[in-house]
Amino acid sequence: MHKDNVFKYLTINSVYLWLILFSICPLTLVVICSFLQHTPDQLFVWKFTLANYKTLLTPIYLKVFWRSLQLAFWVTVLCLIIGYPFAYFLTQLPSKIKGLMALFVIIPFWTSSLLRSYAIITIIQAHGLLNTFLIKIGVIDQPLQLLYTNTAVIIGLVYNLLPFVVLPLFSNMEKLDRRLIDAARDLGANGPTTFLRIILPLTKSGIYSAIMLTFLPAMTLFYIPDLLGGAKSLLLGNVIQTQFLSAENWPLGSALSLTLTVVMSLLLWFYFRSTPRSEREAL
Amino acid sequence: MKRILLAFLLIFSASVFAKQHEILNIYNWGGFLPDTVADEFTKETGIKVRYSTYMSDQDLYAKLAIAYNNSGYDVIFPSVEFLGRMERAGMLEKIDKTKIPNFKNLDPHFVDQAFDPQNNYSVPYLWGSTGLVINRKYYPHLKFDRWHDLWDPVLKDKLLLMDDPRTNFDIALHLLGYSINTQDPKQIKQAYEKLRTLLPNIKLFNMIAPQSIYTNENAVIGVGYSGDTYAAILSNPGLEFIYPNDGVFLWMNSMAIPKNAPNRDNAYKFINFILRPDIAAQIATTLRYSTPNLAAKKLLPKEQRDSRVLYPNAVDLKNSQFETDIGGANELYEQYWQELKMTT
Amino acid sequence: MNKYIRSSYLVLCYAFLYVPLFVLITYSFFQAPPQTGFTMQWYQTLWQDPNLLVVAGNSLLVAVVASTLATVFGTLAAVVLRRYRFLGRQVLSNALFSLIIFPDLVLGISLLLWLHLLHFPLGFFTLAIGHITLCLPFVTIMINSRLLDLDSSLFEAGRDLGASEWTILRRIILPLLLPAIIGAWLMCFTLSMDDVIISFFLTGPSFNVLPLYIYSLVRLGVTPEINALCSIIFFVTLILILIAQWRVRIE
Repeated sequence: MHKDNVFKYLTINSVYLWLILFSICPLTLVVICSFLQHTPDQLFVWKFTLANYKTLLTPIYLKVFWRSLQLAFWVTVLCLIIGYPFAYFLTQLPSKIKGLMALFVIIPFWTSSLLRSYAIITIIQAHGLLNTFLIKIGVIDQPLQLLYTNTAVIIGLVYNLLPFVVLPLFSNMEKLDRRLIDAARDLGANGPTTFLRIILPLTKSGIYSAIMLTFLPAMTLFYIPDLLGGAKSLLLGNVIQTQFLSAENWPLGSALSLTLTVVMSLLLWFYFRSTPRSEREAL
Repeated sequence: MKRILLAFLLIFSASVFAKQHEILNIYNWGGFLPDTVADEFTKETGIKVRYSTYMSDQDLYAKLAIAYNNSGYDVIFPSVEFLGRMERAGMLEKIDKTKIPNFKNLDPHFVDQAFDPQNNYSVPYLWGSTGLVINRKYYPHLKFDRWHDLWDPVLKDKLLLMDDPRTNFDIALHLLGYSINTQDPKQIKQAYEKLRTLLPNIKLFNMIAPQSIYTNENAVIGVGYSGDTYAAILSNPGLEFIYPNDGVFLWMNSMAIPKNAPNRDNAYKFINFILRPDIAAQIATTLRYSTPNLAAKKLLPKEQRDSRVLYPNAVDLKNSQFETDIGGANELYEQYWQELKMTT
Repeated sequence: MNKYIRSSYLVLCYAFLYVPLFVLITYSFFQAPPQTGFTMQWYQTLWQDPNLLVVAGNSLLVAVVASTLATVFGTLAAVVLRRYRFLGRQVLSNALFSLIIFPDLVLGISLLLWLHLLHFPLGFFTLAIGHITLCLPFVTIMINSRLLDLDSSLFEAGRDLGASEWTILRRIILPLLLPAIIGAWLMCFTLSMDDVIISFFLTGPSFNVLPLYIYSLVRLGVTPEINALCSIIFFVTLILILIAQWRVRIE
């Protein structure tokens, strides 16, 4: 028993130490900074203020928040719609090639996302591959204007976030007991019923983690949307970048990121609260 | 497996714990110094060049601001607009010009400018201008030679503008008759109102590689930088760069030495090396930007030396101004810029 | 019928994932406009640019080190959070999960500020720390979802049979988590290879990495040379996987 305690404290403390040193301490700096004053000449001044949080209540920030939330939401939904069956069908492949095929999902992403975005531009641009192809087979006679629209932004984000849905779902579905599905079939359940009653509930925790891994990062992505959408509308990531780098208003930038973190955590908390206790543990 | 891992670690530990030679740490825009120039410098002086890159002046500023005066970099390449800001923040080392004999090669037009009257902190590197770009294949007859022409209703949803507040405010401020470096909140606000009326014409804002957008005709009209556009014209001859006859905005990147640079002497050697006519000419030829080095200009290939895009004549430049430091007003510009982008 | 739908869906998905990559590879064999035609010139320039290869090596090193350590820490954290009740458990869990919401840029800047206060010289180690911190929440979330589905009676049974905590972890938990651990490692590797923002702030003059190099070069337009590099990375990966697969077959 004594040895067990040593083991337990060793693991707990090493994880703790790392997080305190390299996450909690830097985060604390941000928290402190968000309560400091700002003057045009200095990044921050050592005087307490709540002004930064008040500024965030102006409509411009609420609008940006709402816009980013909408984008992240739709991207996550699309990723799930595409990724869920993808992951499910992957698990049904023969076990010999299953792992290999899952690996092939992520390999295209070992290049730079910037280059991938440029590749997408080459495909969807006015004189790009997609338009040339569609015109050649006679589906359209005028090139589609996809580039610099919201559609382009969504295509780019879904593309770049898809593996973050497929991988957790795949690893979660791997353990799905085939016998349960077969049993349901034997008892006369049809396809949709089996899916809704058996498969979906059993993969719930996989879906939760997929949502967290795409929705949350998608809130603050900005350079892929800027590149494909023409940078005409602001997203949260843009605003944070501007406050930190261009306007050099670190206190406001810090307040913005912290508020974002708190709001998103609350949203998630409400979301998980509506689920049974065992699943709430996911948070 | 273990053996592979060990070999892997050995190979790469060489790069992590590299032995300290005489070195020079350059911090520059990506692709803003030809590899051949760095190699030649190493060959001549034995000083090893370590080259790191940043994406924008803002990034450079933020990084130096945090790692205050201890960043480890020896030569940086800020634009004129940021020089003043960096100097005020005490980030720059005062330059001893006696250590740079080749300084004399520079065009008097580009030294002792208002942003650094005695060139105490900066040595000009490359320059360029902001002008109008049009693809004549799409607009063979459109009158497009003044900044005001951007507001033409025919251009609805067509323009490419730079994704940078200053470049756009320059245009509006200038049209309103104000200095492009104004710090007056009222004038900045008016410029913001003016830019709002331009919004319907804007197709996209871009900062990364605008020339490929013009080359691939994803945008066929708008604003551009001279050097980028010169390169774009080479791949797409339909393009044209126009110096607006109501004013031209100039930019320049300078070399500077950050405070407490670890290899200051090497930095001086490097700056002097860059100002050598043959080297400056090599840089300008490869990168296709304009050099402020008079002696080097003579050595350029004819098509570059005679290019009006790269080296405009006195008439083109009669109304030219440099973007310079705007002090605390910067934040106001950024704020209006955000609001502008919120309304679209 | 079902099988037919399944395979065509999979083919479509892989096509979606791979078309941009193939475009990129194709362009690495094209001459720069205005010329057209096939060329190997970009691979030659690449070969003559030792800088680029060093930078690619640096990236690989950081990615391997960071994703391995992040996977170890993240897995431990998930297991610890799930199995033990201890002081400050909630703080730990909240800190971990809020990390994933926290914008990369702010994480990068605050880590730079903090590591600078601790007098860490910028370079490989600071970069690795940054990437580990970036990846940690991804690992924990993924491992956690798998842990939730494991039957905790398995652990109880192990303990009843007198196994130590370490044995339970090694013999019961880790094998059951293996697919998730592999998935998490791959995800971290991807994140690390593609991270521009944190890398920018946390690296110093002695250590440049590929995403930064690419990002800053693209300002002047995508050079086919970089496309060539990405194609090489892809083909090398492909060959390594095939060799690994082949050896597994033989064994």
